[in-house]
Amino acid sequence: MSDATKVAAAASSRDPAIGLAAVASLRGLLESLEELQVSNARAQGWSWQQIADVLRVSRQAVHKKYRRYGF
Amino acid sequence: MFERFTDKAREVVVGAQAEARERKADEIRTEHLLAALFRVPDNLAVIVLGAFSIDKDAVTAEIDRLRPGGRPAIDAEALSTLGIDLDEVRRQVEEAFGPGALDRTRSALGGRGWRLGGHIPFERTSKKALELSLREAINLKHNYIGTEHLLLGLMHADPGAAHHILVGLGMRLDAARVIVEELVRGRRAG
Repeated sequence: MSDATKVAAAASSRDPAIGLAAVASLRGLLESLEELQVSNARAQGWSWQQIADVLRVSRQAVHKKYRRYGF
Repeated sequence: MFERFTDKAREVVVGAQAEARERKADEIRTEHLLAALFRVPDNLAVIVLGAFSIDKDAVTAEIDRLRPGGRPAIDAEALSTLGIDLDEVRRQVEEAFGPGALDRTRSALGGRGWRLGGHIPFERTSKKALELSLREAINLKHNYIGTEHLLLGLMHADPGAAHHILVGLGMRLDAARVIVEELVRGRRAG
């Protein structure tokens, strides 16, 4: 089974306990990776607008979320 | 207050930090202090607990039951059901950002604060339990605070999880005080 079909299979798992836990962990992983990348981008002098553009979110959204982290 | 603590009582406080960290808690709660009693070998608190047939496994099971949300924010097992190998992701991230980079993120730590190596504050009831352990020592006319007094303080601190766990496992405060008194008298005599 290819990775893509595997993902599709589990994401549509009929057992909510499995499917939801997977989604929750995926969200956790996403948040971690985003935090690392935003921190890195800020450290390299990127503006909030530049970061927002690549993340495809609004500048306000990314700024509001990470401002308090002190990036 | 900590200056009156015995070495073992201090070890318990340090151990409670580790317990809280391992359980990804953002405060040291009474159950972390309770669990930490079992981290220090050969202490009076464990002997007192033993008198009520309370052991480490029983306490740990109760703590686990108390907060079933103890699963990590990023659960390797859950991700594997999606075909995602968390170890591989971690390896890639650490290659770019250094050792521990992924696990140090707020999300991985449960969404609150950079606590990994840092100081974890005591929750209010934990502070109260520590204060009560001082009072228990004073009432017993002991001029130090040992693990046995910490245990009495935890038992005494009513809204705390440790109190509920200990009561649930059959400990009684009055009986525990008597046991502590006898044990300490016996130690001094012997």
